[in-house]
Amino acid sequence: MRGSWVPLVLLWLSAPALGQDFAAPAPAWPPGPPSVLLERGLPTATAVPTFEGAVTRWHGIAALSTRAISGSFGWRRLRAGLGVSQTGEPDVGWTALAVALGAADRSGGACLRALARRDRTSSFGFDATGAAVGGEVGGGAWVEAVTGLHVWASAPQVWMRGAAPPLARPLEIGGAIELGGVTLWISRAGVMGSPTGARGERAAGLETVRGPCAVWIGAREQPLRGGLGLAARAGALRAAAQLESHPVLGETTYLSLALGGRP
Amino acid sequence: MPIIAMVSPLVALALCAPPSHPLIAEVFYDAIGDDTGWEFVEIFNPMPTPFVLAGARLEAGDGAGPDRWTLRWVGTPGDTVAGDGRFVIGGASVTPAPGAVVQLDLQNGPDAVRLVWPDGAVEVVGYGPHALAEYFCGAPAADAPSGQSLARMPDHSDRGSNAQDFVSAAPSPGAANLPRRDAAMVAGRLGLEPEQPAPGSAALLSGAVANRGAEPLAERELWLEASEAGSAGDLTLASMPLEARLAPGDTARFAIPLPGLTPGKRVLRVRMHLAGDQAVANDGDSIQIRVGPGALEVTEIQFHPAAGEGEWVEVRNRSDAPLSVASFSLADRRGAPGLPAAGSDPLAPDSLAILVQDRVALLARFPSLDATRVWQVTPWASLNNNDDSTRVADIVTLREVDGTPCERVPYSASGVPSGVPLERRADGSWAPASDPLGSPLEPPRSLPALAGRFEVSPRRVGAPRSMIASVGWDLPWPRGRITVDLYDLAGRRVRQVMAETSVAARGERPWQATGLPPGLYVMVLLAHPEVGSGTFTASQPLRIDGSAP
Repeated sequence: MRGSWVPLVLLWLSAPALGQDFAAPAPAWPPGPPSVLLERGLPTATAVPTFEGAVTRWHGIAALSTRAISGSFGWRRLRAGLGVSQTGEPDVGWTALAVALGAADRSGGACLRALARRDRTSSFGFDATGAAVGGEVGGGAWVEAVTGLHVWASAPQVWMRGAAPPLARPLEIGGAIELGGVTLWISRAGVMGSPTGARGERAAGLETVRGPCAVWIGAREQPLRGGLGLAARAGALRAAAQLESHPVLGETTYLSLALGGRP
Repeated sequence: MPIIAMVSPLVALALCAPPSHPLIAEVFYDAIGDDTGWEFVEIFNPMPTPFVLAGARLEAGDGAGPDRWTLRWVGTPGDTVAGDGRFVIGGASVTPAPGAVVQLDLQNGPDAVRLVWPDGAVEVVGYGPHALAEYFCGAPAADAPSGQSLARMPDHSDRGSNAQDFVSAAPSPGAANLPRRDAAMVAGRLGLEPEQPAPGSAALLSGAVANRGAEPLAERELWLEASEAGSAGDLTLASMPLEARLAPGDTARFAIPLPGLTPGKRVLRVRMHLAGDQAVANDGDSIQIRVGPGALEVTEIQFHPAAGEGEWVEVRNRSDAPLSVASFSLADRRGAPGLPAAGSDPLAPDSLAILVQDRVALLARFPSLDATRVWQVTPWASLNNNDDSTRVADIVTLREVDGTPCERVPYSASGVPSGVPLERRADGSWAPASDPLGSPLEPPRSLPALAGRFEVSPRRVGAPRSMIASVGWDLPWPRGRITVDLYDLAGRRVRQVMAETSVAARGERPWQATGLPPGLYVMVLLAHPEVGSGTFTASQPLRIDGSAP
């Protein structure tokens, strides 16, 4: 167990990258909702099918909201996901379709994800003539290094073509440890084109689950900011909300309603 | 029979400048407008003794065919040209009065004149492209443009060809074509800097002088004297020597520092003094100026109308007496002055009027306006919407119809939201109008504080679209200090769009989104009032298009 801290420290020296199409209220670890599978390529350990609807309002800007529906499915070790989302008003927004396919069990998992975007020039649809189209393929993987310690890596945009994505997301690596009912995590993500050079963005947080409720907090840098998330489960139904505060841009609000998920 | 006589005795004897005879020095055959009474031929005697012209014949030649010479004048025993003097044969309108008043009826080229002396000597001066050799000597001179004469330059020139001896020049009957000493003011170059000085403040009266004589002028040989014209005579304001040496044909600029002038409309004169100047008529020039403000002031400028009402300029009578708007002209920095019409004079003291590009359109846009105070200006000087390198978009210039400056307002279009006029504030400064529609024929309105607003237009830039977005704002204070920054979707600050800047409550600036990777960004405005406390923050998304790397 002592040795397991070494990679965590290395990870800290080396933030999770924000989602943009399927951002949903969830802690960085463990991967649960299908949005995590589609956005970061991290599959769930269990094969329970989940359907999720999520809404994100970025930095309090009404013209910049994301609406997404997604689902994940499993059979034995096989994991798959499918989702569609739409972000922003027509002049700045886009519509995205994502699929993910991979494998996982309780010791680890890996997944490929692919996503296509098209300018949002109509209320909804992919048929806008002359609209810019772009696509990206990437993936993610995690492993339980020792009991209670998980490390993950996510590179969602390994291959890109066409119109550039709204946000470039390089490699993200992270680790999480479960300590007495509390899960602590840290992560680091590269920042493309950062004026400060190759320095990455670091993040850390913790989650605790008490019965049907879960609460988590997190912090990120550049600039330093924090967030608070809550989730409650009633049977197969899970409702979650997360608020992240930015010192200049204001609050980003994440809401989701999921059916299925954790057994 | 001698061969000469067989061909044509006159052609055979024609010379460009027969020796021991006076010369044709100047021919003026094409006056501006009707030539009647203005044409003349000048005969110059280069010898020191008088020359009697009795029997000399002046003939005009029609270059359209051979041997078409007609007599215009014959010298009488009383016609004498003094030694080194000139004898002018010309119409009744020629000044000074010619030695012989004759209606010459000279043709415009290709034609000629010739002087046939009693002893058989002939001098021919041809102009224009001739086909027949009898109408020129050597080669014909180039046709002189309307209003210019053909002048032998210099007066003694004898290079064996009309083309080399004669050039186009300003008519100078009875005077040397190229005086030995002649300094001249260059017409139209006199100017005052500043154009409309404040009362009591210094100014520079500048212009240009030219050496039109045959001799060089030494440094400090030429004196310049500036004076102010008055009912009791001219009042000398300053004088100074010209420090430059002037070779023949050279031009030099001068600037005479003037002491503070009293307010009002003035005429300034510059007179040159040069010992031995042989042409004093060109030694002076004058300019009409105004010291201090004119009677009409510009109070509002609409240079970028957004509702089709056309451009307009509001003016106010700041004098104590009624004035005539029709007696002023309006121009931009470079355009021809436009004259107002269709309004009603006089304009009472402290009253407003509007000078408009399109009177019908403006009245349609603002139907409640008093139409008698709306003046159609023709031609309208289109006012520019974009600043030049000196941060001036254009200069609204009011002049009296005689050219006297009245008001000159340089303005910047930077930061002025589209469609919003500029208005003069009580302190004399200019700012975007507090009412976005402007306030034609009304003083600036004091509107309640604006609601905060922040806009980026368009919100999507990048290839193939423009990379330029307009950043606009309304602040809930008269003035404020704003900062605009750009963040990526992850909340990382990537660029400063506007460093902290003091701005009016309503403004707009263009911003070029170059050097940024494609993606979705958030532009944030942070504003504080210049006086007091408060904060206004607003965000707008901005999409920069581009291909994935």
